[in-house]
Amino acid sequence: MYMAAVGAASTRMGINLWWNCSSRAKPGLRLTLLTLVLLSRWCAAQANPASFSDVVAKATAARDANDLPGAIELYQQALKLNSQWPDGWWFLGSLQYGTGDYAAARDALTHYLELTPNAAPALAMRGLCEFEIGDYSASLRDIERALAQGAANQPRNEKILRYHEALLLTRTGRFEDALRIYAFFTHDEDSNPELLLALGLAGLRTPLLPKELRADQQELYISAGKAVFDFMRHDLDATRAEFQQLFTRVPAVPNAHYLYGYLLYASDADGAVVEFKKELDVNPANAVAEVMLAWIPLMQNDGITALPHARKAVAEDPALPSAQLVLGRALTETGDKDGIQHLETTVQLQPDNLEVHLALTKAYSKFGRKEDARRERLLCLEMTKNDTNPTTHP
Amino acid sequence: MIRTRQPILSPLAGILICLAAVFALSRSMVAQGKTESACVSCHRARAESQPRTPMGRALALPGSNPVLKDIPKLTVRKGLYTYTVETVATHGGESTYSVSDGTRTITVPIHWYFGAGAQTWVLERDGQQYESAVSYYPSIPGLDFTTGDEDLKPKNLDEAIGRPIELRETKVCFGCHATNAVTNGKMTYETLRPGVTCEHCHAGTTAHLADAINGDFDSAPPDLRKKSAEDISNFCGQCHRTWETAVRNHWRGELTVRFQPYRLANSRCFDGADPRISCVACHDPHQDIVLQDSAYDAPCLACHSSSAAAASVSSTAASDKAQTHARFCPTAKSECVSCHMPKVKLPNGHLTFTDHQIRIVKPGEPFPN
Repeated sequence: MYMAAVGAASTRMGINLWWNCSSRAKPGLRLTLLTLVLLSRWCAAQANPASFSDVVAKATAARDANDLPGAIELYQQALKLNSQWPDGWWFLGSLQYGTGDYAAARDALTHYLELTPNAAPALAMRGLCEFEIGDYSASLRDIERALAQGAANQPRNEKILRYHEALLLTRTGRFEDALRIYAFFTHDEDSNPELLLALGLAGLRTPLLPKELRADQQELYISAGKAVFDFMRHDLDATRAEFQQLFTRVPAVPNAHYLYGYLLYASDADGAVVEFKKELDVNPANAVAEVMLAWIPLMQNDGITALPHARKAVAEDPALPSAQLVLGRALTETGDKDGIQHLETTVQLQPDNLEVHLALTKAYSKFGRKEDARRERLLCLEMTKNDTNPTTHP
Repeated sequence: MIRTRQPILSPLAGILICLAAVFALSRSMVAQGKTESACVSCHRARAESQPRTPMGRALALPGSNPVLKDIPKLTVRKGLYTYTVETVATHGGESTYSVSDGTRTITVPIHWYFGAGAQTWVLERDGQQYESAVSYYPSIPGLDFTTGDEDLKPKNLDEAIGRPIELRETKVCFGCHATNAVTNGKMTYETLRPGVTCEHCHAGTTAHLADAINGDFDSAPPDLRKKSAEDISNFCGQCHRTWETAVRNHWRGELTVRFQPYRLANSRCFDGADPRISCVACHDPHQDIVLQDSAYDAPCLACHSSSAAAASVSSTAASDKAQTHARFCPTAKSECVSCHMPKVKLPNGHLTFTDHQIRIVKPGEPFPN
């Protein structure tokens, strides 16, 4: 799937890619590196004057003729002659990916990445290989790195990578992050059962891949996914109708009321509170519903209302970072310095979460730790400096 | 002559009668929802001065708008469209807002006048509310694009009227410019009172009044002066924008000069636990804004001078901090804000704000973000 998308790019891979990846190096350094590469190629060619170049030519011809098994074998031969040939590892990996030999493709791409670190397309393809062979944590790591380094350079590539990223985020329990990514698909895509099922899994906070879900549960999740999809398309009437149907059909489905409340929160905080409370009626141990019931008053600096919900959230799930966050904030708001301890614990768990740093800034400031507050303030400003959006000024 | 006890009781009875009258009046006012009027009976000076402040005049209704009263017609052409605001004294001072493309004109009545100096209007057309595309700026004096809306590109006359505002934003606008505009998260036009009144900041005023009538003062709203500088910034920042709100929304650039709590917190000297740097250390929200730079010397010198000034700060927390002396200014000991809190003009050139990011300003330096 991904190979087709990057096919055009792959023919220009190899030294050109390597050069592009090194383009940030200083000109002198680039020249030195290029000389070294050319020298190593020349040495390799001298060591195997006929065989290496012959094999490479044959491998290229086989690849051009779409003879995948033949090309794979020839690239393997060439790489035995010169294992420092980056293009060879790239073509071998991408050909193996194309034949569905994901484990071998991953290994070849790993060799390639050892020679050309941070090559975004290779990171992306290796991430997809890891996804296929079930190494999900490595897959998410690679795909996130690839996206950060510009692998989503074409719409088709971006869709493939973001979709897999969202699936993996769901599986690792980062449901809100997954939903944010799925929003990308609702702008110009029609709903399809595959996407709706994936949306439903993230929405109902079920850490599974679609293929891991029991067949008899799929309809329920597709229904929840449809509600999310409609919401993301700003069709609020359809969203409401979908949720009402869902609640009627399966009144006690875990996280359904939470999901509706979560979606409502931005535009109708009071409506959201009603849904979070309904969720707790159905599922009294739902820590995330308690978190949101704490979060909403905290946004109005109301720690007293938030505190019991925050305490309950932590009691239900002490390892939940957002529970520690709201407890830390609620304690701070009510003048209890213990809030700092909860926030410092949370920042260890989620060092990149702006909300934790915002809360910590406030707590340090309020309790007179001026220098710590200053440090956190500067950190928050640094975290947000590249994403200014002046048009959102009120 | 028969001496009765009446003359002895009379002074007390008189006081009781007066108190009863005051409380009866207060009770009546509470019942009518006029809490700020009832506040006058005990907090006369503040309750009388506060409505005259810009916050007290943050919203006006038709017929009570002093800004447009003396300017019967304002007009400006912006791009393809001509905007006109007409105020007719004979119609109770009501104003209309028109936009025309030369062939067609849309005219709507102005129901809500936002702002005590510069003024923006919230309009309603076919059930949709709009922020007016143009505003009145006293510095021109006249109409120009509403601050922040300069980049809007209307595709037709209907869009040229202004920026549509969703209910959530409506609640924010009215929530800050009026009192009792939002009840339990819902817009409540029926209870709305224009401007920031006592109850806007002092939550629980109604209960306090009712209890005070019965001699119970336990339910008095909390004394905001006792809050920490951080808490006061967050309190005032509910409308003036907190540091957290500005950062969370990634707001940067010169427009943030409008958000004083955000700018203040970015100051090197800001200490959330030190009352000498809180909003109310410099500003009395019950009084009109003070424009003389020298009026703010005392709060600056509370830190940047000898201990005598610092010791004048009376709270316990301040006393703890009184030993903390900041550097003394080698250049001057008066009108500190004229150098360290420069005035910044917004990009449209019509509004000027004091930058609350207190700092040593270097010539030619860009606006610090």
